[in-house]
Amino acid sequence: MTVTTTTPTTRRPSPPGRRRPRVSGRNVLGAMLSMPALALFALFAIYPGLRVFYLSLFDYSLTSPPEFVGLDNFTFLAGDPRFHEALLHSLVYTVGTYLPALALALVLAVALSRRMRGAGWVRLLYFLPVATSWVAISVVWRLVLHPDGLLNQTFGLDVDWLTSSAAATWALVIMGIWKETGFFLILYLAGLSRLPGEVYEAAQMDGAGAWQSFWRITFPLLKPITAICSVMGVIRGLQAFSPQVVLTDGAFGTEVVNLFVYKTAFENARMGRASAVAVFMFLVLIAVTMLQLRAFRREDG
Amino acid sequence: MTVRSRLVGWALFLVVAAGGIAFAAVLAYAVVSALKPPGEVLSVPLRWWPSQVDWHNFALPFLETPFARYYTNSVFVGVVVTLLNVLTCTLAGYSFSKFSYPGRNVAFVIVLATLMVPLEVIYVPLYSLVYDLGWVNSFAGLIVPAGTSAFGIFLMRQSIDAVPDELLEAARLDGAGVLVSLGRIVVPLVRGPMAALALFIFMMNWDSHLWPLLVASDDEHRTLPVGLAAMQANNLGAAGVPMMMAAAVLAMAPTVLLFLSLQRRFVEGVAMSAGIR
Amino acid sequence: MPRYRQHRRLLAITAVLISTAGSVAACGGGGGGSGDGTVTLTFWTHTHPPMIELNKKLIAEYEARNPKVKIEYQTIPNTEFGTKMLTSLSTGSGPDIINMDDNALRGEYIPKNLLAPVDPAGFGKKSAADLEAGYVPGTLDGAKDAGGTLYGVPSEFNGTAFAINTKHFQDAGLDPEQPPKTWQEVIDKGKALNKAGHKQAFNFLYLHSGWYSQWFQTLANQTGGAILSPDGKSPALGTPGTKQALDLWVELARTSGIADPKTSSRDATVPFQDLASGTQSMAIVYPWAMEQIRQSNPDTYKDLAVVPLPQVNPAKPVSRVYGYFWAVNKASEHQAESWRFISYLAGQHDRWLSDVSFVQPVTGWQDSAPAKKIPGIDVIAQAYAEGRYDQVGPHWSEVQDTLRKAVDEAVFDGRPVDAVLNEADEAVRRSLS
Repeated sequence: MTVTTTTPTTRRPSPPGRRRPRVSGRNVLGAMLSMPALALFALFAIYPGLRVFYLSLFDYSLTSPPEFVGLDNFTFLAGDPRFHEALLHSLVYTVGTYLPALALALVLAVALSRRMRGAGWVRLLYFLPVATSWVAISVVWRLVLHPDGLLNQTFGLDVDWLTSSAAATWALVIMGIWKETGFFLILYLAGLSRLPGEVYEAAQMDGAGAWQSFWRITFPLLKPITAICSVMGVIRGLQAFSPQVVLTDGAFGTEVVNLFVYKTAFENARMGRASAVAVFMFLVLIAVTMLQLRAFRREDG
Repeated sequence: MTVRSRLVGWALFLVVAAGGIAFAAVLAYAVVSALKPPGEVLSVPLRWWPSQVDWHNFALPFLETPFARYYTNSVFVGVVVTLLNVLTCTLAGYSFSKFSYPGRNVAFVIVLATLMVPLEVIYVPLYSLVYDLGWVNSFAGLIVPAGTSAFGIFLMRQSIDAVPDELLEAARLDGAGVLVSLGRIVVPLVRGPMAALALFIFMMNWDSHLWPLLVASDDEHRTLPVGLAAMQANNLGAAGVPMMMAAAVLAMAPTVLLFLSLQRRFVEGVAMSAGIR
Repeated sequence: MPRYRQHRRLLAITAVLISTAGSVAACGGGGGGSGDGTVTLTFWTHTHPPMIELNKKLIAEYEARNPKVKIEYQTIPNTEFGTKMLTSLSTGSGPDIINMDDNALRGEYIPKNLLAPVDPAGFGKKSAADLEAGYVPGTLDGAKDAGGTLYGVPSEFNGTAFAINTKHFQDAGLDPEQPPKTWQEVIDKGKALNKAGHKQAFNFLYLHSGWYSQWFQTLANQTGGAILSPDGKSPALGTPGTKQALDLWVELARTSGIADPKTSSRDATVPFQDLASGTQSMAIVYPWAMEQIRQSNPDTYKDLAVVPLPQVNPAKPVSRVYGYFWAVNKASEHQAESWRFISYLAGQHDRWLSDVSFVQPVTGWQDSAPAKKIPGIDVIAQAYAEGRYDQVGPHWSEVQDTLRKAVDEAVFDGRPVDAVLNEADEAVRRSLS
């Protein structure tokens, strides 16, 4: 057994949530330590967040005082085809990008966790896109996806990646998978390096094939990581904004929810309506995250 | 190990390596394009190699735009924001993990919930706040609001949860104070997650475009993404394409280098928080 | 004990960070006047490199003559200009001086009462009417509200013209002296050009939605179509003239096959790249674009000829004009100084013509020495006479997004014109309600 020794910290993890009562003076001091972060949060995240909730009930053009309109923004959105399309685009982008990215990351992690010469280099190749920024990389991708660009010419295709409703969504999905897989690969590799090696080797001695040992042993043990990955995937997917802005500006069926929010607030000066979308998406994300966590917990139990 | 499983392993590895090359091809294409003379970037049929290597394209952004300034600004803001985050998130994670006090869990949940509000709308009220503070067109406006992060606090809390209470208890009995225990016991054990946090924060900050545009896009404080967007809007003719490519490649460099230098600790760090539940 | 030192280092870092943040903060802000009576004016424009260069020169000159005035000049990419403006105006502040197009002025900023009316005193005039008298009649309408109050003076005034590549014409055996007079002739000559190997005979530019709507209005002006009803209260995208405009667009760009719209550059990086590089044979152009090509691609430039915009009905030519205007923020604390600076900028109309090819429609501009040097200036001057400002309405960028979607679907996806216009009509109705 060689691969997966643990660092001292992980040997005796304390059960979270159940802690001995401590001297209160110490706890006061301990509480104080969260103050810098909480103060910054209160001022720069919670206060503006609450403001967004408040503004969702107003008609606010940014340049004149907000006017109270009750739930009008929400009723408008309920019947707005542009918003409904944006929801659909976000959903397709999230599923289209993050499901393959997660699956790919898992497979890659299993393949690359073996101790093999060159694995480190291959890992690096997949990591590189994660380290690039959207603004910089969009310049490159616009050339890759050009009718005479790298993708079409390499594979002899004639796809109008950025100029057709049939393909633009998938152009973004391809770019998204390219950029995001490495992120989840990191998480999975980290998870794999924690698996007890004996379990793995024992399975192989039993004659369990690689495939079987993956499904019967590796995959179930990775469930906590998969839970985190899927939660992160949904959050990142439903909040996608940068790829759509830099590549298509929302044309050809790629206007996702956050791009709709951005345009509604800043270009069309309807801050109240944009806030209502934000409130709606906040509730959706909370609900989806809770459902995901519950689903994973139940399977564990 | 059976022969079969070893063969499967090798085959899988080869496929994966080929995929990795395909992933990196996009970046290689960028680097090669940056070396091309104008007009060769989009040629039919596709030519990978430039007819002549034009290193000059890498100098152009510096010669024709205040690229060095954007770069310095981005690095400065990125480094300060990263240090601030490592500090505030570690302290908060330590506090949430190892102390009990009323409101602790509520505070933690609220912090996490802020992850769920789209940033784009937050920026409007945030801007007016920053304006009232007099921080428009200043580095403070770029740095202070980004001084902590929900993801970072989450990461650090999970990581510090894995530090055995017994170690801290022993230190306390030795007379170590709260901060001494943090410095002497906790920090050495969570160096990995701290490195991971540093990388994530630096990357996010490096990529941030909309907020810097709104709050500080004058020449003096303009950061790289805002500068790149302006360069894109300013460049004329096909001559601009290789230069933009060079600028894009240069803009990637710091994150890639940071990634390479932190890779080891980073993988270790995420495992600490994620793997241990 | 090294560990204790570590902890002290932690505190030291905190202290340094906090004090850095504080001192940096103190450097920022600071708008407006200061103790010695110096006035700082902030001035925002979009990005157009030759214009930026001249602005910087003029600012330096102005500052040299007025040591008590400092101009803080900032350029913002077109696609982000509105976002940046709105956010900064939301605090009741923002820049003192803005250079803004007439669509935004009349659609958003004037109706929302965000701008200060022109101050004639800044120009040394007694009244706005006096100031207006110096311009070609009608050219300032782009910066007026419904009651006729003037809110800015033009930094550039653009008529729509057409450019042809004479070398391509010769290659195809066409006479460059006989440019296309109608869109049908554009298609006919386009097919001849295709045969001679010039595959990109004519293309529109598909950049951000503002560009889509400017082409649309150009065509609709000729076909008698409109985006809104005359009272501006309801959409008019279903009317026959409007349908004819989009039909024409689809025919030019898609069905005639004289060019491939998919290869047309889609980012504002290089608007007239295909024309400038000698790939495209014909294009709708503006004076500033020709100057840009002269600077970036002199070789192609010498082959280009500026000719009148092709028409639907050549007997009754109709063109489209648009302008950018220097305007002053109503919230500015230095309005008088701002107008004085604008007056200086506007006074340099000859240099705007000679350096940037920006026309400022002062009376008799077309007879000035620099105007005579611009090729095709008579064509452009003629286009002004036939030109019309765009129709605009509230939430105009939403309407422009809607138009972009309709055009994309008709031109690129090949959806029927009737269907996309019906959907667009419904979407505009929602925007207006």
